Amino acid sequence: MKQLVVSAPPHLKTPRTTKRIMIDVVIALLPAAIMGVVLFGLYALLILALSVLSAVLTEYVYEIVAHKAWKSPSYFLDFWKGFDFTSVVTGLLLGMIIPANVPWYLPVLGAVFAIAVVKMLFGGTGKNVVNPAVAGRVFLFISFAAMTAYPVGKDFGLFAVYAPDNIVTGATPLTEYLAGNTVQVTKGMISNWLFGFGMTGCIGETCKIALLLGYLYLVIRKVIKFWQPLLYIAVTGLFAVCLEGFDFTAFLPSVLTGGLLLGAIFMATDYVTSPKSNLGNIIYFVALGLITAGLRKATGIEVVSFVILLMNIVVPLIDKFVPRRPFGYVREKKAKEVTSK
Amino acid sequence: MKAIKAKHLFHGVHVPDHKALASGKPIENAPEVDLFTVSLSQCLGKPSVPLVKAGDAVKQGQLIADAGGFIGAKIHSPASGTVKSVSDAIVIENDHTYETDYMPALSNPSPEEIKQRIADAGIVGMGGAGFPAFVKLNPQDPVDTLVINGAECEPYLTCDHRLMIERTKEIAEGIRLLSKALGVEKVFIGIEANKPDAIAAFEAFDFIQPVILKKQYPVGSEKHLIYACTGRKVAPGKLPASAGCIVQNVGTCYAVYEAVVLGKPLIERILTLSGGAVVEPKNYVVKIGTPFELLLKDNLTEDAEKIVCGGPMTGAALASLSRTVTKTTGGIVAMTKKETNVEQPTACIGCGKCADVCPMDLMPMNTAFYTAAGEYDLAAKLGGVMNCIECGACAYICPARRPLIQSIRKAKAEIRKGGKK
Repeated sequence: MKQLVVSAPPHLKTPRTTKRIMIDVVIALLPAAIMGVVLFGLYALLILALSVLSAVLTEYVYEIVAHKAWKSPSYFLDFWKGFDFTSVVTGLLLGMIIPANVPWYLPVLGAVFAIAVVKMLFGGTGKNVVNPAVAGRVFLFISFAAMTAYPVGKDFGLFAVYAPDNIVTGATPLTEYLAGNTVQVTKGMISNWLFGFGMTGCIGETCKIALLLGYLYLVIRKVIKFWQPLLYIAVTGLFAVCLEGFDFTAFLPSVLTGGLLLGAIFMATDYVTSPKSNLGNIIYFVALGLITAGLRKATGIEVVSFVILLMNIVVPLIDKFVPRRPFGYVREKKAKEVTSK
Repeated sequence: MKAIKAKHLFHGVHVPDHKALASGKPIENAPEVDLFTVSLSQCLGKPSVPLVKAGDAVKQGQLIADAGGFIGAKIHSPASGTVKSVSDAIVIENDHTYETDYMPALSNPSPEEIKQRIADAGIVGMGGAGFPAFVKLNPQDPVDTLVINGAECEPYLTCDHRLMIERTKEIAEGIRLLSKALGVEKVFIGIEANKPDAIAAFEAFDFIQPVILKKQYPVGSEKHLIYACTGRKVAPGKLPASAGCIVQNVGTCYAVYEAVVLGKPLIERILTLSGGAVVEPKNYVVKIGTPFELLLKDNLTEDAEKIVCGGPMTGAALASLSRTVTKTTGGIVAMTKKETNVEQPTACIGCGKCADVCPMDLMPMNTAFYTAAGEYDLAAKLGGVMNCIECGACAYICPARRPLIQSIRKAKAEIRKGGKK
């Protein structure tokens, strides 16, 4: 008999590791990414690929330097054995939340910032305070004017060559709506919103059907809880209705246009930067919804990524001050009543 | 009585049960033992005090060690023969005559007689924790319900399942004696839904209410079994009696039957031998003090990676086979590398799955975080570690393979050392 392994219980473990969960998230993102390429052409594919590659390479280079791998060369390969796909998720997500007509170096810059500054400098996987992809987008958004002009899906055709000057850009349906242009919600319009045809927006956010497919996959694989994105989306929509003086036509435009679906399904639900308890999560998603609808009304621009960034910073506080009662817990007042009887 | 479904639900985790390996194997006698090594630590509590010395002749069932304190258990000789040595274990050489020295059988005993006999027979909780049974039978609070634990939610183990279908009448008699000793009318037996034959077997008795428990780990935990069967919650830090309930394992009920009706002290138990690295899974009747090596000698494959004493969710991994069977050994599980899934821990990603599955509604990730930082007060406050039952559900589900149970044990030990809570 060979040497027995001794460790603390339990001696059974679920087959679902961090790596497996991250691969699930990538799979869930794929439909929206593919639809982004269909709508915005192969240049969008280039942006997504650059974003993912530079995210992974940044993590690799950072780890090589941090581990002083030249002293123990086996680490050059060991990194890939322990690779957990979190940077692939970050890179893909970042590529999907920038417009398709930006210069090629923008996704590279954004990914390097997201991984090196936001994730690795704070301690790597699980230690980042804010969502790296969202922080990367906000970094690009406030640094480059190109981030504010959105191309129209289907204007390119799949094999269009990148030519920034020839692209028709416009305000997104959301900003148009927020600017006060009355939106007559028709059936054709809703299907355009759902499929993303003729819509302006970022690569991954225009096709809502693909995002919903990803949502279904994540729920079925139990990566996220079904109510988390729904809560965010519903609160945003309903609060927008309230702000418009109970005009229920405001619900669909504020839910189906802009980056709300992508943000609610893939960015706000990020494990590291969302609260850990159920009660904390309810507070977090309701607050996200309220602030999103309120700021949209106040500023007239799309604010989902900024709001997620803001709430990410509040998460440690929520975790600290939202208590979780143990099984069988009796409130002190009630306990006293019981004993006095 | 007709079985009812448990309505009260709590958090838990679905663990593949692997019970099919051994659940079809009838109980059989373990191989003959030449040398018994009976440990003096047979239960939760103080070790027992030996009453024999080297060279003494003993009979099967003779008292060889007295309880070391109020929470302690008497120990009886598993066979007739000669005492070879006495240290922290009593070694007895078997003369293979099995000459018995049992207590007299009791017919129609009073509640006091039953309690006394349970103490005299050295019966401890057979589920695994090994709390002396008679201590539980003298509760501080008024008790109106007896809950029998037939859940057996630990994967691989089938000893309680086999016992329930092969010795149903004996267990029912034990339950009747226990309810008489406690003076309670209401008796529930909670059985997990994956044992329909056992549930059907207990429907034949009109004083027992079988409850079908949802297949979920850890439904066999005392507090959660009470909640599933009766809807009562035991407050944190309180004993089940505070909710008017007493929980006993089916194995304990069988031991009570043997002690009262046959006069036989607790010298043997049912043990499951299972796992992917076992050639032929078995359910054995083993005598206390039987060496593990004898049980596994010809029955272990080459690729055994881990050998676990008890169930794989809470049992201890063994470094060698030098241990012997005690009153609480419900199983030996030999696992292959593929089954145990030993991996290096990676960084916590804060997914919160450990909190989702925690049956005690605690925050294991907070305990781990603050224990690593040496902040044990915060581990107790924000992690709730002192209420943990160490079921292992959190560490099972953790995708980052964090060693959560180690953190919890460390925090508990440090907090107890500091005397703070």
